Amino acid sequence: MTGNMQYYIQGIGMISPQKTFDNQLFLDEISTYDQNVLTSVVPDFKAYINPIQLRRLSRMLRIGLASATICLRDAGIDKPDGIITATGYGFLDETEKFLREMLELKEKQLTPTHFMQGTYNALAGLEAVTIKCMGYNNTYVSKGFAFENALQDAMMHIAENETAHFLVGSYDEAASVQFIASIREHHYKTEKISNLDLFNTPTLGTIQGEGSAFFDLTGVQTDNTWCVLKDSRMVYRPETTDELAVELRQFLKENDLTLEDVDVWINGITGDATRDARLKELETRELKALPQVRYKHLSGDYCTATSFALWLGASMLKKQHIPDIVKVNGFEMPKEIRTVLSVNHYMDRNYSFQLLHRAV
Amino acid sequence: MSQRVFITGFGIITSIGKNTAENVQSLLHRRCGFGELNVLDTIHGKTLPACEIKLFNAELCALAGVAEGKGYTRTALLGLIALQEAIQSASLSPAEVQQAGLLSSTTTGGIREFERHFYELMDPTQAGDFVQYTDTANPGEHGERLADAVGIKKYIATLSTACSSSANSIMQGAQLIKHGKLERAICGGTEALSRFTINGFNSLMIVDPQHCRPFDNTRKGLNLGEGAAFVVLEGEDALAKSKKQPLAELKGYGNANDAFHQTASSPEGTGAFNAMRLALDMGGIAPADVDYINAHGTATENNDLSEGFGIQKLFGDTVPLFSSTKPYTGHTLAAAGSIEAVYCLLGLQHRVVWPNLNFNEQMPELSVSPVRELKQNVTLKQMLSNSFGFGGNTSSLLIAAV
Repeated sequence: MTGNMQYYIQGIGMISPQKTFDNQLFLDEISTYDQNVLTSVVPDFKAYINPIQLRRLSRMLRIGLASATICLRDAGIDKPDGIITATGYGFLDETEKFLREMLELKEKQLTPTHFMQGTYNALAGLEAVTIKCMGYNNTYVSKGFAFENALQDAMMHIAENETAHFLVGSYDEAASVQFIASIREHHYKTEKISNLDLFNTPTLGTIQGEGSAFFDLTGVQTDNTWCVLKDSRMVYRPETTDELAVELRQFLKENDLTLEDVDVWINGITGDATRDARLKELETRELKALPQVRYKHLSGDYCTATSFALWLGASMLKKQHIPDIVKVNGFEMPKEIRTVLSVNHYMDRNYSFQLLHRAV
Repeated sequence: MSQRVFITGFGIITSIGKNTAENVQSLLHRRCGFGELNVLDTIHGKTLPACEIKLFNAELCALAGVAEGKGYTRTALLGLIALQEAIQSASLSPAEVQQAGLLSSTTTGGIREFERHFYELMDPTQAGDFVQYTDTANPGEHGERLADAVGIKKYIATLSTACSSSANSIMQGAQLIKHGKLERAICGGTEALSRFTINGFNSLMIVDPQHCRPFDNTRKGLNLGEGAAFVVLEGEDALAKSKKQPLAELKGYGNANDAFHQTASSPEGTGAFNAMRLALDMGGIAPADVDYINAHGTATENNDLSEGFGIQKLFGDTVPLFSSTKPYTGHTLAAAGSIEAVYCLLGLQHRVVWPNLNFNEQMPELSVSPVRELKQNVTLKQMLSNSFGFGGNTSSLLIAAV
């Protein structure tokens, strides 16, 4: 990114298909799903959202707002300098409601609630109003790169002012519209599986997930720091696995590292026999010797799933513990977890790497 | 680390012209795109006129040089036409394009096609031509499609901050150049009219069935429009190598949030004020040195009042010439920021200030009024272009002559 600049994750709020909203827990209880659709395990929203606001909000806005609040409380920050959100499909359930009403009522007598709550920047705007944050505000909707774009945006702002705090969040929902439309692209498996069997299936497609994760990023370390976010890189549509491997080595080299320095790598494979091919190849070549963890059996696949990997990596580094449920067979626990590498893909188009260090 | 960022080319398509030359002629001759809808099929076609591009998708495919039936939504087609003109205008080589970043923006992606084929798409047993539009509910779909069409791989982003989207994509492109991530970025936005958008804005009761009247006391709301524009940004290092003459400098930019209400601006224009002030601060420019503001000026009661107060607060007794060009193009939502940045650049090139059409009656709340007639032979050195959106997003770009 920018030479020796370090970025620190100071707080996290994570709502996902697992019970991740409580930062004291770390995948202690596991939720299972058997319909190929994973939906969020939510906290009692009343603890995070005032009752008047709560009544008016859609399910996903509640999830997003609550995860932002959890993050700020965890970081001990009232008001960050900026808010940046990322999503692949936005509030598609709200969009669907407005669309169906419009079609059924033949464009007559529509009310604006679903239209307003379906806007991609609705969460960033709502969070700004809620905490009266008049600073920088932006939203990315770049499919499998949206969260990576948001991270990069925040990192550049922090490089300009290292004491600034940026609230960077993702949200995507397991919308039925997306599920149905994507059947034609074989995005999701046609046979029903248990989510925990995801990596044992030889078929096309994955399972649908969702989540909202917020991170407080800043340029100064404190006692509260989860970990260092050293760098992030995107690779769009690599033509060969070699191209991806070259990008990975280059990425590590620019950060004065080699593969041998990585203690654990997070594999973002999705259980799709075809689309996972490049990461499966890296797994047996460049990354073969490294202890590996996986997560999409817990989160499902969604555009901004990299944010789940970031939560997982930060948690492993902070807690110096790795839950069995994410370990791949033959996992050898390193003495100390110092460096974590995340490698993700979305639909075999959007690839990205993130590098995390233990805060020392 | 920080290097200066220049504008070296642009491309545009709106309801007043399918390229730069046509837009200039329309702007000079006060020709507007406002009228009944006959390309989009909606029950509001006669009752809620808008600024529609009078070309069917097949014609847009021909203009963009792509085959029909390949899944290009109207959003993608408009974007591709403007993008191709921008690349040509900046004389970028294929190698330079490949190494550039593409930062596009949209408010609804391919919803126009998605709404049209919704029931068919929601029934996986059906087959047909509509299948090409399978993923059009995704806002980033068009961004990747544009990148693929012109061969960009290095960096792709799609932004969506409602009506300030493309101002933010230009800003973010500049950030990536300043931080040495990219040498060049092609930034803008694209927006197609859809039933979804027309009905959404209509349900908010901010659409004027008459031609919109920005900053006028009788204003009753906005007219929607469609279009796309992209600008090519290059860093000073890249220009030092290529010896290319830039058209202008992107000297500053500001992004803030009004933090007031989900769909309304604060009455005192705090967000507008902050965005403009941040842009001037970055450029090291005093308010008195601004020659022109292309206002957001949507002609809603709320926006023009809020923006007017923000302008008066920042500029005091020395408010520069300002106008809203929305009566020409309608409010093109995500594309408005880049379209209006292009209009600033065209003003600079032709030494003119574009008029704020339909202004007749002074707003009693404001002490300033917009430019009503085309002003010629104007020396423009610094210009601001404002874009504000739902969610409290406020952005301002500072474009300077070189």
